[in-house]
Amino acid sequence: MTNHHDHGDAPAAVEITDLTKRFGDTVALRDVSLRVRQGEVVVLLGLSGSGKSTLLRHVDALELPTTGSVRVEGTEVHRLHGRRLREVRSRIGFVFQQFELVPALTVLENVLTGSLATLRGPRLGLWSYPRRLRRTALGHLDRVGLLDRAYQRADTLSGGQQQRVAIARALMQDPTVLLADEPVASLDPESSDQVMRLIREIAADRGLTVLCSLHQVDLALSWADRIIGLRHGEVVLDTPTNGLSKAQVMEIYGQVATSTDELTAIEAELQPLLDAAERRS
Amino acid sequence: MTVVATRPGTTHDVEDVARRAPRRRISPERIAAASTLVVLGVLASAAVVRTDISIPNMIASWSNAEHFFQRVGTVRFPDPVTLLQQTALTVGLVLLGTLLAAVLSVPVAYLAAANTSPGRGWIAAARFVSVLTRAVPDVVLAMVFVLMFTIGTLPGILAIGIHSVGMISKLFADAIEQIDEGPRAAVRAAGGSRAQQFTAGVLPQVLPSWVATVLHRNDINLRGSVILGYVGIVGLGREMSFAFKSLDYSLGIGYAIVIFVLCVLMEVVSSTVRAAMLGVAPAGGGLGARALRARQRRRDQRGARDHQGARDQRGARDQRGRADQDGSIDAALRRPWTRTRVRNTVWGWLAVAVVVGSVLVCDIAWGDLATVWAKIPPVAAQFWPPGFGSYGAPVMLDAVFDTVAIALAATLLALVLSIVIGSFAARNVAPGAGVRGGARLLLVVVRGVPETILAVVLIVITGLGAQAGTLALAFGGIGLLGKLVADSLEEVARGPERALTAAGATRLQRYAGATVPQGFRAMLGHTFYLLDTNIRAATILGIVGGGGVGYYLLNAAQGSNYATVTAIVLMILVTVLVVEGIAMWMRRVFR
Repeated sequence: MTNHHDHGDAPAAVEITDLTKRFGDTVALRDVSLRVRQGEVVVLLGLSGSGKSTLLRHVDALELPTTGSVRVEGTEVHRLHGRRLREVRSRIGFVFQQFELVPALTVLENVLTGSLATLRGPRLGLWSYPRRLRRTALGHLDRVGLLDRAYQRADTLSGGQQQRVAIARALMQDPTVLLADEPVASLDPESSDQVMRLIREIAADRGLTVLCSLHQVDLALSWADRIIGLRHGEVVLDTPTNGLSKAQVMEIYGQVATSTDELTAIEAELQPLLDAAERRS
Repeated sequence: MTVVATRPGTTHDVEDVARRAPRRRISPERIAAASTLVVLGVLASAAVVRTDISIPNMIASWSNAEHFFQRVGTVRFPDPVTLLQQTALTVGLVLLGTLLAAVLSVPVAYLAAANTSPGRGWIAAARFVSVLTRAVPDVVLAMVFVLMFTIGTLPGILAIGIHSVGMISKLFADAIEQIDEGPRAAVRAAGGSRAQQFTAGVLPQVLPSWVATVLHRNDINLRGSVILGYVGIVGLGREMSFAFKSLDYSLGIGYAIVIFVLCVLMEVVSSTVRAAMLGVAPAGGGLGARALRARQRRRDQRGARDHQGARDQRGARDQRGRADQDGSIDAALRRPWTRTRVRNTVWGWLAVAVVVGSVLVCDIAWGDLATVWAKIPPVAAQFWPPGFGSYGAPVMLDAVFDTVAIALAATLLALVLSIVIGSFAARNVAPGAGVRGGARLLLVVVRGVPETILAVVLIVITGLGAQAGTLALAFGGIGLLGKLVADSLEEVARGPERALTAAGATRLQRYAGATVPQGFRAMLGHTFYLLDTNIRAATILGIVGGGGVGYYLLNAAQGSNYATVTAIVLMILVTVLVVEGIAMWMRRVFR
């Protein structure tokens, strides 16, 4: 694997260059370039349809670029196939908005699917996974506070619990990069807090590079090192959160939102953020 | 707003409105489709005449029936040992055949499903396998295999196994295409290989529907095993055919009753297995499914109470704090023996035991599998080119027309009766719960009788020929189509019905003005499905003496005139494809 430590203070964990993605006639991403340092927490802001999910999916090579390149830890993921691709994917944890657990499997087996890249051949059933991995998986379940649910079917859990299982599954990969696509958008406020706290703790404990799309602006400002705004598939904002002032935050939203209607809608959401920004400055 | 401005206020505007109104345009295609329907209706009516279904004939048959029942006298059952032996053999053979088909269907379905297939070419190839295996009746396969293998169970297992791949792989592939792609994407995102994505992301999602499909097919195959007996496959079917051929009617009817009971029992068992393994309520309208649903409702009420108790316990455990030492993780490595796990384990081992038992009972001549390969090329070579042999084209074509006539007549008769019974069985049409329940029960009972058994008995009563086949298919068709008609009528939107009631329509006006128009398309589709099934079934019923081309098929196979077998199968295939084409066109036009 080649290293690209040649510029910047820390090596780039994710480096996207001139990425354009078309689905038929629609342009989902246009000339997106961004560089995420190792251990950096980057939050993607933008309305639905702005291209956040598509961008995240490119990092894991779940989508392939029409033009441009996507490097993860120096490797061009979109050029990889087979074993090498799976190896890179295994180092990238992905937390989905809809959790994406297999409903009919037990919680434990769902967590174990995170270890598939280290195993050869297809697996079905708990006993097809080595005892060592089962033990590790139980440890991760304990970490997310769901050890006692290990042998329940995944679909018997609440949304917040399912997302915690999905986090345990990502931990099973022992990732260096964590991608999260609106991880709490489908949850009630209480579980949403719990899940976000968990993600933040784990990311901090393990020094993970995080790329996370969110729509809670206050959360973004209090957690992220950097905020990237997307609109119609283009990067319209890329700024460190340090010392963002109230006025600047307003401007961010002027840039991210596309119409005055959206602006007013967002302003309602904005109040806690404005308070936070005020306290900060 | 412009509407208000131009709205005609007085009567003299009526002419003006009539002039401005757009003329009704019916597309030529719709006219053609409607004409085709009319032509099909006329042909079907003609077919009813051709197959000798008439009131005087029925009355004549009635005296035959009396005569028949006099000869049957008392029903006689085989001795218990033979009965048990033959029943085990039949069930084991059918089960292994279905399992073989299930195993063969997995790769076919994987290649045929758009979301798992490696490419378009593979999809086409897999679909071709599916269509081909469905097109060749298991009876034809059995007839050929019986000649290639030493007598035993293997020809039957292989015939069922290969023929069932068509339906099973199609339904397997449909299930794969309907999965939620999310979990599979998650496994992919975690670095899972294609095979791992399939076992971890796809298989757990499709397994319940796959098991249901296999059990459903197993029921169908058990019914079909009767006819396999007529071409020499061991089991209850063959014993019955021997009894009827030696004019031992009382024993033959005894076997018929045994098979009927066995079919009902198998349905109960498969419904039980489905419910127990999957925790889903059986959706079927059969006797077994009904009994089970009632039981499950009671169990659900009990289960809800249990669940509440378990939740309380868990809450208490949560309060004791999270387990964070290695000790508790080691303890958690041992999966607790919950009621669910005990139940699943017991069912799992029971299933294994049944399969092993089936293999033992069937006493498979494994040696044949090694020696048969040498026999395949010469036999296969005899199938091509197709030819009519000594019969000649006019005789064969007439026989095929007979088969189509039987199918058309049976479909028409079934349709007319199904609309009546099915309507009364629909909740939104039936005048009361009692009528609806009665109609549903009637449909269930009708469905319970295997068509072949019915045909065999009818043939004895009315004599060999198209009449018996038509009546048997019509009777079976009511069970299928009546239920589908009832379901299609129940599924229509309620709004228009309410609107018509509000406008003062009578019950019958509401039925004709709101219910039927909404359910029409579904009913049309189901009718063509029945016609398709009936053409295949009419071919097969000919083998037991139900008229049509089946008789020649049996003769040709038993006389090793394989070219004729190919010719007949091809003719039936073309007919079925034409019907399927018309059905697809109709569905498109009457959208």
